[in-house]
Amino acid sequence: MKENVIEISHLTKSYGKSRGVIDVSFNVKKGDIFGFLGPNGAGKSTTIRSMLGFLKINSGNIKILGMDSIKDHEEILKNVGYMPSEAWFYDSMKVNDVIKYAADVRRLDCSKEAAKLCERLKVDTHKKIKQLSLGNRKKVSIVCAMQHRPRLFIFDEPTGGLDPLMQKKFFELINEYVAQGATCLLSTHVLSEVDKYCKNAAIMREGRLTMLETPHIDDETFLSFYEEEEG
Amino acid sequence: MRSVLKRELLLNLKNLLIWSLSVGALGLVCILLYKSMEGEMKDMADAFSNMGAFSEAFGMSTLSIATLKGYFATEIGAVHGLGSCMFAAIIAINIISKEEDAHTGEFLFSLPLSRNRILTAKSLCVAIMLVLFTTVCTLFYLLGFKLLGEEMPLDLFFTFMVRQFLMNLEVAGICLALSSLTGKNRMGLGLGMALLFYAYDVMGRVIPDLKKYLFIGPFSYANASEIFTEAELPVTGIVVACGVLICGVLFAFWYYNKRDLAS
Repeated sequence: MKENVIEISHLTKSYGKSRGVIDVSFNVKKGDIFGFLGPNGAGKSTTIRSMLGFLKINSGNIKILGMDSIKDHEEILKNVGYMPSEAWFYDSMKVNDVIKYAADVRRLDCSKEAAKLCERLKVDTHKKIKQLSLGNRKKVSIVCAMQHRPRLFIFDEPTGGLDPLMQKKFFELINEYVAQGATCLLSTHVLSEVDKYCKNAAIMREGRLTMLETPHIDDETFLSFYEEEEG
Repeated sequence: MRSVLKRELLLNLKNLLIWSLSVGALGLVCILLYKSMEGEMKDMADAFSNMGAFSEAFGMSTLSIATLKGYFATEIGAVHGLGSCMFAAIIAINIISKEEDAHTGEFLFSLPLSRNRILTAKSLCVAIMLVLFTTVCTLFYLLGFKLLGEEMPLDLFFTFMVRQFLMNLEVAGICLALSSLTGKNRMGLGLGMALLFYAYDVMGRVIPDLKKYLFIGPFSYANASEIFTEAELPVTGIVVACGVLICGVLFAFWYYNKRDLAS
């Protein structure tokens, strides 16, 4: 049986009186591409940001790669490649400086992998960050998340802003890394991505999580999760 | 941590150059103007020393503006004090909060660094910036003295620069604590505080009832006229400054470690 790369049990996080996530529990196994669906504000980003230690959780336990998310925070981040939904970097820096900076902080020489990724994603490394469109910033973010060949990828709405060809290349890269033993948590609104690439999936709604029996659900079932919330 | 420190130093380099060259060059020009104003200064010195509380507030009752050390203490002392205080405030008040304000936080926080390491790198950056600022200004002022060819008591001059540096550290410590509180740009607050500290010191020297509380403000122990008249070492003010600095830094670490980071 495959080991759990992500183990979350009874995670609750609130922002003062506002709801964040309530009693969220799920596991992601090694080699999985796990689809994480849900409407805006359902709690997907809160769950991810709790996993990465950006947020202080109210209760529950999070284990990533067998390590405690609070105690082993730094060690976890060494093995995680995270791509946030909005790819912001220091405006005054050049693309190659940002990529090198991310590698330097990890004390790794990722130049070979970074060059490979930049070539495949057609990243112009000589431009300044402030000259880039959202899509191009996202490509830089992908390189930063992948260049150190992490054991776990966490992507928060990664394909927004990417053109269809880049989306295809992005998923090709994920599949290649997963084939080599990595695991991927993919937070998205795009049902077709989950249907095509994910092996398991869960949907969040109003801070609570429901595991889906299969990631291959039809549009109607998918939209019902959004509609019920509106009602 | 070294990479973060290097990045922070590069990001703040422009600010350092603008502020240190402006304050330093302004001080240098003022020093060089001394020669051309020397003749008129004698009359001005008599007038300025008889202006009651204001003469005392700006140190003109104890120091003659007609001498270089008196001129430096009253003119350049004020320019450097206010300029360096404002620089310390703007560097420190944004050093933490700018990541969340500019949405670069998620990139930085996703790198394998604890919050303590990030904050240590940022605090070191502030300290290094202040050392470099003080060094650049010191060199400008020394150049001024050399070009002028006038004698200047260097021991008192260096005491002044060291105490100004301590004042800058204290202001930076307060601003670092404030920067840890939110993820918003608080540049206005930093500049406002710098001006408030300066105004408090001037008021404290004009209003007799406030005089005994001067030690609370960061300008109290860095006052040029007191240093150049070799007044007694303001131990209480210096002890308070060290206490405020340590408390500010410790608070920043404590609070930054316990709060949620905005995206």
